Amino acid sequence: MDLYRSGSSSSCAGKAPDQIDGLLAGAGYRVRSSELRNVAQRLERLETVMVNAPSEISHLADEVVLHNPSDLASWVDSLLSELNQPVPVPDLSDLTYAESLDPTVNTGAWMEHHTAEQHREIPQVLTAVEEDSCIQLVHVLMTCAGSVQRGEFSLARALIDEMQGLLTRVNNRCGIGKVAGYFIDALSRRLFSPQGSGLIGSAYENEILYHHFYEASPYLKFAHFTANQAILEAFDGHDCVHVIDFNLMQGLQWPALIQALALRSGGPPLLRLTGIGPPSSDGRDSLREIGLRLAELAHSVNVQFAFRGVAASRLEDVKPWMLQVGPKEAVAINFIMQLHRLLVSAPTRGSPIEAVLGWIRNLNPKVMIVVEQEANHNQPEFLDRFTEALHYYSTTFDSLETCSTQPDKALAEIYIQREICNIVCCEGLARVERHEPLAKWRSRLRGAGFKPLHLGSNAFKQASMLLTLFSAEGYCVEEDGGCLTLGWHSRPLIAASAWQAIPEPNPPLGLVDPYNNVV
Amino acid sequence: MVQLLEIGLANVELNLVSDKEKRLKFCINDHMDILIEILQRLDGRSLGSAACVCRLWQHITQSDMLWEHLCFHHVSPRLPSGVRPVVAALGGYRRLYMLCLRPVLSRLGLARQLSGGGGHQEVVRRVWTRHLVELSLSLFCVDYYERLGSGGGGGGRVGDASASSLMFLCKPVNV
Repeated sequence: MDLYRSGSSSSCAGKAPDQIDGLLAGAGYRVRSSELRNVAQRLERLETVMVNAPSEISHLADEVVLHNPSDLASWVDSLLSELNQPVPVPDLSDLTYAESLDPTVNTGAWMEHHTAEQHREIPQVLTAVEEDSCIQLVHVLMTCAGSVQRGEFSLARALIDEMQGLLTRVNNRCGIGKVAGYFIDALSRRLFSPQGSGLIGSAYENEILYHHFYEASPYLKFAHFTANQAILEAFDGHDCVHVIDFNLMQGLQWPALIQALALRSGGPPLLRLTGIGPPSSDGRDSLREIGLRLAELAHSVNVQFAFRGVAASRLEDVKPWMLQVGPKEAVAINFIMQLHRLLVSAPTRGSPIEAVLGWIRNLNPKVMIVVEQEANHNQPEFLDRFTEALHYYSTTFDSLETCSTQPDKALAEIYIQREICNIVCCEGLARVERHEPLAKWRSRLRGAGFKPLHLGSNAFKQASMLLTLFSAEGYCVEEDGGCLTLGWHSRPLIAASAWQAIPEPNPPLGLVDPYNNVV
Repeated sequence: MVQLLEIGLANVELNLVSDKEKRLKFCINDHMDILIEILQRLDGRSLGSAACVCRLWQHITQSDMLWEHLCFHHVSPRLPSGVRPVVAALGGYRRLYMLCLRPVLSRLGLARQLSGGGGHQEVVRRVWTRHLVELSLSLFCVDYYERLGSGGGGGGRVGDASASSLMFLCKPVNV
């Protein structure tokens, strides 16, 4: 214990790192100030071993010869390597045991100073202590999620406290520390305020966060540009076109489409856009404002344009008559990160997704774009969802680290935090972020009467070019059976696909099929 | 004989003098068509420097025609004629070059250099040019749309003027 105190006090003195520590020199040990940290860690490990398994090291008392007592660091290293002591296995019993030893009194202060120094000097390098804490953190997170699933809430709450303590030892500004922080926050919301349904913001807040997420990372741009490319190709040769966007937000997708239609050979078509969004609460008509802006842009580039806004708080409330699709129009349906919201099913409401896909199919659109998160967050068991979300959002946060513009990055992280909270905290109707992987969407859409359209090489080239504009090297575009996925370091995070309705042999009464045959 | 020679020499001197005077009186600013022809052949950076020379040059370099030439003269096949009014409506070729084409070209050039361009670079360049043009125009359009929102009736809703989706192009590249 003396060593801890002398170590921490001398590192507090702010000596030059290469100087020999004076206090230890007085005891006969030559240790450089820069190595004090390492020596203390190793001694801590040695102490753990000595306390846990005294029988294993009894031979040390006889056989170990300290050849050079002045070189303390390498002597401890050699001891540890002889013992073949692995990194201490994170285990609950270890935690309680370590606490009972009460080294936290000294090591706590030492660690706080250590992490403060770490922040100043080399934020990305993890010391052995931090790595251990990170591993422990993940382990305790999984244990806590498991106890939540089993309904052992008092244990879960105790584990939350545990994790808050562990969080102080890790760098919570980057890496696993940051992600773990968000997940711990979500779990504690679930445990301590069950009546709340995660983080809900106003529609206005959501729009701001969405916009900053759009700027901070290429995911939404990839979604928009790929969708526009498919829509453009589907509209080739048609003079009246109608786009139905199930989540208008600020309409950032549509300027590029309007411009591309303005420049297409043969001249622009008459473009109708129907934008669906949540009703605005504070008296503004945000849908109409966006429509006016898009109309102004279309007017500047001489594209005939008409806009219609449909306000609906749930997607299944949208009915085909609200869209007023004309008989000779070519229709494109656009679902950017929206279709999974229809997977909420309650016994009283039937299957919203089947209902919506049914009437969309009757519209016989030229193309239906589906862009979804490539993750399996809709599994029935909570622990499975939690594990999957932890991996998925760790990758997402990793990719966001490359963004350097603030406040884009901070607000983009809050945007993702809301998704995390919804997946972890909410159940039933409130849990809307029901992401499913591409394979599941394929079988679901095929079952609903749609066939896949291949996104062509133009879309792939455009996506690749878009990625080279982002300075981060980790993004990758891949083609997966006619669909495009964008991922970070070979983990796909978002998948874009295009679909077309398989013509029914007997269309329902009252509709006109695209060949103008009244049925 | 000597007198003739003297008169001849005097004539030559006079001619030389008047040629010199003529040369001194030649000023490029008096020949705008030649000036424009020369400026058309400059790259973007030089064109920017040329704009700082004098007020006349600044006025000329603000003409969008020069920047149109700079943007798209290497594009083949030629862009359809409808591009010009669209670009003009969205803010002009000069803005298109400064905001989109220059950073896009430099990033793609760097990327290609690093991946080892080699002999197929020209083919790659031609094949990519159409996509590059389309992508740049799309990004330009998104920028125009955002400016509509922050400047005009939308007020500060979409975020302040500094929030532009093209900010990622302005960051220093570590390709």
